[in-house]
Amino acid sequence: MTDYGHDLLFGTFITPAAQRARQVVDLAVTADRAGLDLVSFQDHPYQASFLDTSTLLAFAAARTERIHLNANVTSLPLRPPAVLARAAASLDILSGGRFELGIGAGAFWDGIAAMGGRRLSAAQGVTALREGIEIIREIWDTTISGEVNYDGQYYSVNGARRGPRPAHDIPVWVGAYKPKMLALTGAVADGWLPSIEYLPRGADSIPELNALIDGAAHDAGRDPAAVRRLMNFMNVQLSSAPRGLLNGPPAAWVDQIVDLALRHGISAFIIGGDDPSITQRFGAEIAPAVREAVERERTPAR
Amino acid sequence: MVMEIGIVLDASRLARAPLETVELARLAEERGLDLVVVADEATGRSAGLDPWTAAVWLAGSTSRIAIGAPAGAATTPDPTDPEAPYPSVITKAQDSIDILAQGRIISDPSGWVVAPRGAKPEELASLAEADLPVVVPVDSREDVERLAALAAGRDHQGGVRRRSTAVRAQRKPNIDYDGVPASLADTAVEPGDPPYRSLSSTYLRGGAPGLVLRPRTPAEVSDAIEFARRHRHLPLGIRSAGHGISGRSTNQGGLVIDVGAMNTIRVVDPARRLVRIGPGATWKQVAAALTPHGWALGSGDYGGVGVGGLATAAGIGLLSRNHGLTIDHLRSVDLVLADGRQVQASREHNPELFWAVRGAGANFGIATSFEFEVDEVGEVGWAQLVLLSTDIEQSLRRYAELASSAPRDTTVFFVTGQPREGMSTIQLFAVVDNPDPDTVVARLTPFLELGTLARQQVVMTPYSGVMGNAADVGPNGQQGFGEPNSRSAFLPAATPEFAHDAAAMLRSGGVYFFELRAMGGAIADIAAGEASFTHRTPAFQLTAMGQNNQRLNAVWEPMRPHSDGLYLSFETDRSPERLLDAFPAPVLERLRTLKRRYDPDNLFRDNFNIDPQTTKEPRA
Ligand SMILES: Cc1cc2nc3c(=O)[nH]c(=O)nc-3n(C[C@H](O)[C@H](O)[C@H](O)COP(=O)(O)OP(=O)(O)OC[C@H]3O[C@@H](n4cnc5c(N)ncnc54)[C@H](O)[C@@H]3O)c2cc1C
Repeated sequence: MTDYGHDLLFGTFITPAAQRARQVVDLAVTADRAGLDLVSFQDHPYQASFLDTSTLLAFAAARTERIHLNANVTSLPLRPPAVLARAAASLDILSGGRFELGIGAGAFWDGIAAMGGRRLSAAQGVTALREGIEIIREIWDTTISGEVNYDGQYYSVNGARRGPRPAHDIPVWVGAYKPKMLALTGAVADGWLPSIEYLPRGADSIPELNALIDGAAHDAGRDPAAVRRLMNFMNVQLSSAPRGLLNGPPAAWVDQIVDLALRHGISAFIIGGDDPSITQRFGAEIAPAVREAVERERTPAR
Repeated sequence: MVMEIGIVLDASRLARAPLETVELARLAEERGLDLVVVADEATGRSAGLDPWTAAVWLAGSTSRIAIGAPAGAATTPDPTDPEAPYPSVITKAQDSIDILAQGRIISDPSGWVVAPRGAKPEELASLAEADLPVVVPVDSREDVERLAALAAGRDHQGGVRRRSTAVRAQRKPNIDYDGVPASLADTAVEPGDPPYRSLSSTYLRGGAPGLVLRPRTPAEVSDAIEFARRHRHLPLGIRSAGHGISGRSTNQGGLVIDVGAMNTIRVVDPARRLVRIGPGATWKQVAAALTPHGWALGSGDYGGVGVGGLATAAGIGLLSRNHGLTIDHLRSVDLVLADGRQVQASREHNPELFWAVRGAGANFGIATSFEFEVDEVGEVGWAQLVLLSTDIEQSLRRYAELASSAPRDTTVFFVTGQPREGMSTIQLFAVVDNPDPDTVVARLTPFLELGTLARQQVVMTPYSGVMGNAADVGPNGQQGFGEPNSRSAFLPAATPEFAHDAAAMLRSGGVYFFELRAMGGAIADIAAGEASFTHRTPAFQLTAMGQNNQRLNAVWEPMRPHSDGLYLSFETDRSPERLLDAFPAPVLERLRTLKRRYDPDNLFRDNFNIDPQTTKEPRA
């Protein structure tokens, strides 16, 4: 049993299709009204049919009121860290503290190279991400006086202005699957944000991957609970018969999510599918039922 | 002159008090002001709001007012510099905000003039001489109200639609927007106008024309042609319903004449079943209008397709084996020629032109009305079957035998794609033009041996039920993307060798869409000389589409020995040799002679262009 004790978050993962721009924004508004906590968009700047994720996040943030937003996850190789940090902080300020930072080392290097980006090996990408996160946090930190100077292997800057300072402490959630990335996540990140479909053995992989993060956190002198465990579920379906993970009636969803929360410490559940009716029911029926059940389990019996 | 007035919001104020500051933008919008820009006046120790994020936020927080959103200066990409954005990503961000906040973004930082805080009306007026919007810094609701009161006194040009600076900023330098004929000014659409996105792309191809003219009458078509003649340096697309496979009814940066508004369907002589149809009608609409009379006019296999493009090419459809091609029902057509003249072509008037239009119409003029003699057609059997086959070669061979030897009343089209794990999904679209359900079943039953039946839907319905399954094109219009790649061929016969080679092509993965349209029957009853579409005797028309053109060409090559000619409606290759596949040499020669007479300057050239200047015919 692993439960890191985080409050639970429920969110959506919306395809940023340029052709359906209006529906994309409407889906974000639907998620907001449904009472969900997060709306997120993937970031693939080389994908011609997608909107620019940073632009979409700012636009959708303006159209929503309560929900938090994040890229799921930002492709660092095409988002220079200081630029990213300032855009993130700006949006956090404008939205009243509703922006979170999902970030990854980058995938699809051909696409990245085609946009003018730098091609890195997987190992190089991990180091670049570690550096990028350090720079981002430096830029955000206006309590220190003096400019940001950084001399890394992949990024260097002399005399970058600090700021703006975000409205809240923006957590950094890392999309990670492989040991090096998981180690980085445990060492420096505020959250782990993978998709269940990409885990080698689906939910069965979670204990082993959690352990890698926990170990890295210990080694870095951190409490493993400092790393929130989030999870994307791309293929979900509400159907009358239980057919699989998040593919069945609402009650089955509730049981599965409660189990993931209490047994595997997952505390954020982000669903794909671009379906407004599932979004609504996720917010209205499923999330409250899960919260109640998890709350009951977590409260020590008297 | 019309003065546009806007406000400047201070970035540090926006950062300090985002909600109240956004309210100022909303108030400006409510009061009819034209533009909001954010300016960073502070030079603090730490960096202020990211200007792009702030502009996008304002765009999302408002709905009509223009937003000044200058993107960051493009730097040379330096992956080691954490402060240097990638130009390609900046461009994408700009495209995206254009999509999200249609026509409201001014990205050129010299797109407005900043007046001093509290400027007097005279000052504003003199700054407005530059014909740019004038923006004034504001700090409070009172400031905005004061400006709005000034703005309310502006003159408005009577009658002429006024475009905002944001829209005008997207104009192309080589188009005389202000010279659009008065008759067309109201309906013309330019980049940034709200309907633009719905008219810029076609069914399969993305586009971004510089101007779309939307005539509603033949006289307006003449005006549009006159305008097009003044813009010979630009591509010109002729658009009816935007279902052209090659997508040439749109273009990049050029003109489009869209006759989609000319879509009426009217019975002119019930006794002779003469019906007049505008080019902008879709075949779904035509079928629905004819059903109450117990009539039908064969078209293709998809109701979303437009009359204009199909009735000027051929019209090989699910009724063709029993009732002939669509062009075989054409009795006369009204055209506007390249010189702006309105003419009628029929057997009696301009018979040469009438011959040319039925097959190569797009080269000769813009059709504004078609008169068809339609047939009595009762209920038909309409079947959509899905079959799974582990031996696509055998299925193709059997289909070819069955479809070509079937009685005329039975037309079956065959659609498939790449086999997955050895399994092909075959879709059959079949019409049996016979009111007796038992006959329908008897005619279709042999086709069930092509594979394992996975899904079937067979109904008795008027032809409108066959066309009715096409999705209506909604307010978003056609949403094609990129460049389609399609090859087309006529097959004199579908032989076992063809089945073998076609199966190999399908297995290659280079083709994601493959369709055989059965021909024969009534199509061949008409003499080849009747119209410039001369492919009367093929057994099938073949279409193959691929993601990658080079790859498609490579896998298509083995189809050539089996083919004789092509149907231009399904071909995207623009090389001149393809002309001879569409039009055999003597036909092409005759068309070219006519082209020299009717369009000597080659104004109409968007699709399968017969260049009047060419003296030597291309070789096959
Ligand atoms: C899903 C689908 C299924 C189809 N099935 C069939 C089928 O079964 N049988 C068949 O025969 N065809 C079929 N077609 C092809 C179709 O007939 C052609 O693509 C036709 O050109 C579409 O007409 P449109 O007016 O919708 O297209 P548009 O894109 O508006 O026009 C296409 C071209 O036609 C010309 N044109 C358009 N309007 C006029 C006009 N008023 N005057 C002169 N020229 C004009 C122009 O050259 C233009 O580039 C199909 C197409 C699609 C997309």
